[in-house]
Amino acid sequence: MATDHQHHDHEMDGPGYTTPQAAIEESTPEQVAYVIGLYTGSDVDAPDFIAVVDLDPDSDTYQEIVHRVEMPNRGDELHHFGWNACSSSCHVEGLARQHLVIPGNRSGRIHVVDTADRRNPELLTVIEPEEVHEYDLSGPHTVHCIPDGKILISMTGNADGDLPGGFLELNDEFEIERRWDAPGEIEFNYDFWYQPRHDVMISSEWAAPRTYQPGFDMEDVEAGEYGHRLHFWNWTDRTVEQTVELGEEGLVPLETRFLHSPESVHGYVNAALSSNIFHFWEEDDEYQVEKVIDFESGEHADWDMPVPALPVDILVSMDDRYLFGSNWLQGEVWMYDISDPKTLRKADSISIGGYFGDIREVQGRELVAGPQMLQLSLDGERLYWTTSLYSTWDDQFFPEERERGSVMLKADVNPRKGTMTLDEEFLVDFGELPAGPARAHEIRWPDGDCTSDVWL
Amino acid sequence: MAPTPTLTLLWRDGSEEAVRASGESTVLEAAESAAIGLPFGCRTGACGTCAGRSVEGTVQYNRPPRALKTRHSEAGYLLCCIARPLTDCQIEVGADVRAEMVSNPWK
Repeated sequence: MATDHQHHDHEMDGPGYTTPQAAIEESTPEQVAYVIGLYTGSDVDAPDFIAVVDLDPDSDTYQEIVHRVEMPNRGDELHHFGWNACSSSCHVEGLARQHLVIPGNRSGRIHVVDTADRRNPELLTVIEPEEVHEYDLSGPHTVHCIPDGKILISMTGNADGDLPGGFLELNDEFEIERRWDAPGEIEFNYDFWYQPRHDVMISSEWAAPRTYQPGFDMEDVEAGEYGHRLHFWNWTDRTVEQTVELGEEGLVPLETRFLHSPESVHGYVNAALSSNIFHFWEEDDEYQVEKVIDFESGEHADWDMPVPALPVDILVSMDDRYLFGSNWLQGEVWMYDISDPKTLRKADSISIGGYFGDIREVQGRELVAGPQMLQLSLDGERLYWTTSLYSTWDDQFFPEERERGSVMLKADVNPRKGTMTLDEEFLVDFGELPAGPARAHEIRWPDGDCTSDVWL
Repeated sequence: MAPTPTLTLLWRDGSEEAVRASGESTVLEAAESAAIGLPFGCRTGACGTCAGRSVEGTVQYNRPPRALKTRHSEAGYLLCCIARPLTDCQIEVGADVRAEMVSNPWK
């Protein structure tokens, strides 16, 4: 159902951008970032937290973690998070994009943080794991606001940490409203994105919590315990209309990114384990998929097999011009021109961190992992990333990340020229915190970002 | 009356702590009641964050340890969040122990 999307002025200064182009034109450069920080899976006896990172170049505390919102419990593994409302499409009268909804992927606990005071956000309320388990769900992952002030969260497993996963819906009071899907509509779940003008939602597949949470095991891949399909849902009916099998080329399809234009029926997904990027699009009332990037593995003296690229995150710039991505194992951040969505053209990349990155340190800080979660400024000129994937997987592939902590890095992007340059002056070191070195994962902006906002 | 086995926790750096596992408490709960912070996640036996390794003693589970594969259990790994000591136990704990349980399969 389409709602009127007028520009709203809220009591707080959370804008409502009527189109993606308005977000580019009307937004101001990001002053703060909210970044997931975590101690779960380490010997540091402290809870996970939301870090407030000062991104104002004119500030005395630029590049510093100026505030931390600690969770009330340990052991959550905060991972991905989202907003109670899009800056773009989900406005109803009196609703502002003010609350972060932050699930613990291991604990199942869901936290709500009020960002009315942007530099000093506060924990507002918590939904306990037992309440989530009542809906036979666990492993909360992606958070998207949906119309009427409601919130949808993808869940990777059932209450036992097994299959099937599903979706949990919260109301605008941050209470569980219902299980959104019929149990068993899908088995595996991970990320999702909806395109309301086309009444479609796409969801992807990781694995059951009991499979991916202890760590990555090839035995599980061989036993078919990891996902390899995409699901296209009827958004109104909450049912899967089409499932697309990606096969060996499409193992572990993770981030689902529709283009931002509400008219578009195109998008991309990264099949992490197969090191491929797929383009999906609708044609003749059916979704098609095609592999558009195939990253080669590389030989490494210390490895028994070639090192896969492992593209673990992708995002689409707000102008739908570029697809950015991160190859965590090999150590590369890349941007491709997607102005012709079926024929990608490599624009630029930065070889950094990981096993093969040319750049091994920033400001003397050794990089002990590859680039992971990405976030792009709304104007498309600044790309930021962190370096932790998931505590148990970090320990397997980049064990020093636990001892040294993550870093947050930045590249300057020229969208007119299609170039990226590492900002060698920029470094946020999560290894320097008082409680001990922390991992860092997803990044969000207060005014809308390239990985959460959907237009009606 | 419920037994109160002695639980000796061993870290990789050589440090040790002995705590009482009273009543029906799990390894994790026994450590917490002595103000010792062990790694944990789900607290239901699904995620494996709390994995430790038994050196001596017997534990019991009230629900299946889903995060452990047979080979892990055979190697002595246990899940501190749901394992209840039945006898005096010595258990290796900490993030290093868990990391050894699932190593890089390609290296």
